[in-house]
Amino acid sequence: MDFEWTDEQAAVRERVRAFLRRELPPNWDAVARHGPGSAEVTAFSMQFCPRLAAEGLLVPHWPGEYGGREARPWEHFIIGEELWAAGEPRGAQYMNVNYIGPTLMRYGTEAQRERYLPAMAAGRAIWCQGFSEPSAGSDLASLRTRAERRGREYVINGSKVWTSYAGLAQHCFLLARTGGTGRSGICIFLVDMDTPGITVRPIPSLIGMGDIHEVFFDDVVVPQEALLGEEGQAWPIIGYALSHERVGIARYAFSRRVLDGMVRLLRSRGEFDDDSAVQSRAGQALAACEAARLLVYRVVDQRARGLPPSADANLARVAVVAADRAVADFGLEFLGDTFFGEDFPLHLAHHERAIAAGIASGAAEIQLNLVAFERLGLPREARP
Amino acid sequence: MNFEFTEDQTAFVEAVRRIAAHHRTTALTHERVQYAQALDADLAQAQLFDAMAVEELGGVAAAAAVMELSRLPLCCELAASALVAPWLCAEWPRPYAVLWEDDRRPVRFLPVARTVLRVQGSAVQAARLSAGDVLTDNGLFAYPAGRLARAEALQWHTLPGDAGRLRAAWQTGVAAELAGALSAALDAVLDHVRTRRQFGRPLGSFQAVQHRLAECATRVEGLRWLAFKAAGTFDALDAALAAATAMDAGCRVSYDLHQFMGAMGLTLEHPLHRWTYRARSLCAELGGASRQYAAAARAAWGQAHAGAAEP
Repeated sequence: MDFEWTDEQAAVRERVRAFLRRELPPNWDAVARHGPGSAEVTAFSMQFCPRLAAEGLLVPHWPGEYGGREARPWEHFIIGEELWAAGEPRGAQYMNVNYIGPTLMRYGTEAQRERYLPAMAAGRAIWCQGFSEPSAGSDLASLRTRAERRGREYVINGSKVWTSYAGLAQHCFLLARTGGTGRSGICIFLVDMDTPGITVRPIPSLIGMGDIHEVFFDDVVVPQEALLGEEGQAWPIIGYALSHERVGIARYAFSRRVLDGMVRLLRSRGEFDDDSAVQSRAGQALAACEAARLLVYRVVDQRARGLPPSADANLARVAVVAADRAVADFGLEFLGDTFFGEDFPLHLAHHERAIAAGIASGAAEIQLNLVAFERLGLPREARP
Repeated sequence: MNFEFTEDQTAFVEAVRRIAAHHRTTALTHERVQYAQALDADLAQAQLFDAMAVEELGGVAAAAAVMELSRLPLCCELAASALVAPWLCAEWPRPYAVLWEDDRRPVRFLPVARTVLRVQGSAVQAARLSAGDVLTDNGLFAYPAGRLARAEALQWHTLPGDAGRLRAAWQTGVAAELAGALSAALDAVLDHVRTRRQFGRPLGSFQAVQHRLAECATRVEGLRWLAFKAAGTFDALDAALAAATAMDAGCRVSYDLHQFMGAMGLTLEHPLHRWTYRARSLCAELGGASRQYAAAARAAWGQAHAGAAEP
C-alpha cells in the first residue's frame, strides 16, 4: 500500500498543469461557469482539444492504432482529474475520451471505429448520450423509443429528455427498443444528429443553457450499420460504458479547488483564522472531498490491475455526491452574500452542479441500490 | 498510488486474523467491559505489536492489525502498542494509556496499563504504574477507564519523542479502531437483516433499510481508507482527516446499526453494545469530531496566527 505518486505520475500532473497555464485564457473561469455543454465551452473545446491531442494528453490510454499510446489507467485518470478541477475545458468531449471511444473499440465494427474514433482522438467530435426519456429515468430499461427494422435500415420514433450536450452534438449514442419489454429488447445506435427527423430543444435549467435538452425522433431513418453490437445486446454494453463513466468525472477535485478558494476568500475577510466554527465546517467539507478522492482512487487502482468493475465504483459515486454537497453547503453558510456574485463564477457553477450531482450519470439512489445488492449482499426488493 | 497490501503485509494481516479467529470463540460476559487478557498475551508473544518498526510492514500493517483486532467484541489495548510504542517507548512495558493535557475524561486503558504516557506542551513523558496508582471509572463505555490517583507522585521521565507525531499516531489509531469496530458492527447487522423476516420478507429487502446501510458502508469505507493513508504518512493533515471522519461516522453509524438490530441490539446478550460503546467513547477522543475537523482545516490551510491549543 502506497499513497504517493510515482515520479512518472507526478510528471504527468505537472505537464497538464503547465499546459493549462499556457492554454487557458485569462477569462476562463467566466467561460467555464456556463458548463461543459454550453455554446461557450463547446466552442472553446474545439480549439482546446486538438491542442491537447497534439500534446498527447487527450487519448493517451487508447491503443496506438486509434491515436493513443496505451498509457496506463492512472495517467489518463490524472489528466481527467486536473482538467475537471480546472473547469473541464474539454467540454462534452470528456465523454468520448472516457467511455464512448473505449466502448466503440470493444463493441464497434471496424467501419464504426474507422468512422468515429479518428475525430474523437483529434479532439473534434461532440457526442450526446440518448438515454433518459420522459417515462424512463432511473428505470432506464423501461424506455420506449422504438427502432423498427425495415430491410437494411431502422426507423426510429420516440423522444429523449435531459439529454446533455444534444444541442451542439454531431452524434448520439442512442438507446432504442427493437424488441419487447425489458432490457433484452434494447439496442444502441450511433446516430448522426443532422439526420432528418431529429429535433432538439434546449431546456432552460439550473445548470445553465445548453446543458440539457429534449430530443425528438420522428421517422428517423438510420442504416443497419448504425447498430452497435447485436440487437438486444445493449445492456451489457451500457454496463461496460457506465463502469467507465462512474468514476470518470473527478467531481471531488473541482469541489476541493472551490473549497480552497472559499477559504482564501474567508481568510481575506478575516473570517477564518479566529472562527473555530468556520474551521470545523471547512474541515468537514475537506474530509468529504478527501474520502471521496480515496474511494475513487481505489476504483482506479482496481482498474489499473485489470480487475473487473465492482460495486466499489457505486460506493465511490455516493461519496463524491456527498463531497459536492458538503462544499456547496459550506459556501452557502459562510459566504452567503458573495457566494452568489458573478465575481466568483466557479463558486456559482459548483453550487449549481452540486444540486445536479446526485442525479446525473445514474441517480445516487440507484448507486445505493447497487451497493446494497452487490456489496452488502442484501436481497433485492420485490418489484411490482 | 497502490491500494493493495504487499506480500509481507498480507502475510502479517493473515497472522493477525488467525489470532483474532481463535479469540472470537471467547465466551462473552454480560458486562460492558471485557478486557481480553489472553488475547493481549498472545499478541505480545507473537510480537505482532512490532510491525511498525519492521520496514517491510510499516504503519499500514500496524493500522491493519488494529482494525482487524478491533472487530472483536472484546477489548484490548492496541493502538498505542501498535502505532506509538515501536518508535516512542518500546522499552517501556505495555499495555499503555495516554493522557492528553486538558482532557478531563477518564482515560481509556489506565486500569490495565503498566505504562502511562502524557503530553505536556511539546514534551512527551512516561511513568510506570503500580497497584493503587489508578482509580477505575469505566462509566458507560466498553473500555476499562480511570484516573490517576496522584499524578505528581509518579516518576515521570521525558521521552525523546515528538508530541506532534504522537498526536498523529493517536489520531490514526482512533480512526483504525473505529474502522474495525464499525465494520464488525455493520457486518453483524447485515447478517441480522438478511435473515430476520417481517411482513413475509427479509428486513434487508426493504429499500429504506438498504439505503441507510449502504450509506453506513460508504462512511465506514471512506474512513478506512483515510485511516490507511494516515498510517502510511503520519502527516498531521491526513491524521486529523482520518480521526475527524471516523468520529463523525462513529456517532451517525452506531444509531443506524442499533435501529436495524432492533430490540435484540439493546440486550447484553448480543455483542453490538460492545462495538457501539467502544465507538462512542472514541468519538469523544481528542476533543471530538468538530475539533478534529478544525484541526484538519488548520493543517490544510495553515493559520495566520496561533489559535487555541490543540485539545
